[in-house]
Amino acid sequence: MAPISVGDSLPDGQLGWFDENDQLQQVSIHSLAAGKKVILFGVPGAFTPTCSNQHVPGFITQAEQLKAKGVDEILLISVNDPFVMKAWAKTYPENKHVKFLADGVGTYTKALGLELDLTEKGLGVRSRRFALLADNLKVTVANIEEGGQFTISGAEEILKAL
Amino acid sequence: MASVLARRARGSAAAALWSAARGFASVGSDIVSAAPGVSLQKARSWDEGVATKFSTTPLKDIFHGKKVVIFGLPGAYTGVCSQSHVPSYKNNIDKLKAKGIDSVICVAVNDPYVLNGWAEKLQAKDAIEFYGDFDGSFHKSLDLEIDLSAALLGRRSHRWSAFVDNGKIKALNVEKAPSEFKVSGAEVILDQI
Repeated sequence: MAPISVGDSLPDGQLGWFDENDQLQQVSIHSLAAGKKVILFGVPGAFTPTCSNQHVPGFITQAEQLKAKGVDEILLISVNDPFVMKAWAKTYPENKHVKFLADGVGTYTKALGLELDLTEKGLGVRSRRFALLADNLKVTVANIEEGGQFTISGAEEILKAL
Repeated sequence: MASVLARRARGSAAAALWSAARGFASVGSDIVSAAPGVSLQKARSWDEGVATKFSTTPLKDIFHGKKVVIFGLPGAYTGVCSQSHVPSYKNNIDKLKAKGIDSVICVAVNDPYVLNGWAEKLQAKDAIEFYGDFDGSFHKSLDLEIDLSAALLGRRSHRWSAFVDNGKIKALNVEKAPSEFKVSGAEVILDQI
């Protein structure tokens, strides 16, 4: 599966999520993104440094500016189970808008062509670090990192593109 | 009389052969030979991972020459695991040590960084050593894996506990359902040591 790129349509997929009432749900990407402007950003792993200390906080602190520019949803996905994503989300009590979605066994990440084998680091197959902007399911920005770096996949780059 | 003895001898030899061939966990079997080539990953922060070059721990280093109480659970940050299973061992650590236990180990099919975050949250790292069976191979070898895809967890571990003396399984307790917490707690195993 080639990595998703500008002009492609966002595939549909089911992700796990603990909603506002703490109920475990399966939510479809299309139901969240159809007819809307959404940011979908992905990280290799919950509770790992770059993900936790740089990538995620960037989107949390810039959420208001992003929304002011017309973004309806900011979706974070990681190949982790929903319990882990919920616990990780709790470490960001200031978060108002970023939804922490679980791609438990990596099915959606594979559908995006963005899987990354981190087995030797003890993580198994995960996601590359990336950020996408999609307008009514059409990908308009696709910033995908090589390896675990953090150069183009942050909130700043998406803000510039809006 | 002789025929009864012969039948029993045949029966236990067959059972021993069967469990050796299956390589799964049962009382009397050797936990290291049941899972050849398998190693676990000590729970650690990413920086510690980098510093140790993401090294893994072979089973023999964990079990040989030691009295170990080990318990496995479906997942970090989940209900029974967090609220009952880990606390049971954390709160009984002194009693376990008083009975000569060298280490108390918690293992789950999670990556070592998630486990580390969880262990720190539960403030259990002093009492218990946490190890990640990140690809499930340890539990698969011991026939202790269970498909929890319905709960969006994928292939995980049963809830279980064991007392292992120099690699030999002396006691093994497996819950009938992962949501139950009846036989795999510290109180039960304390009586079995």
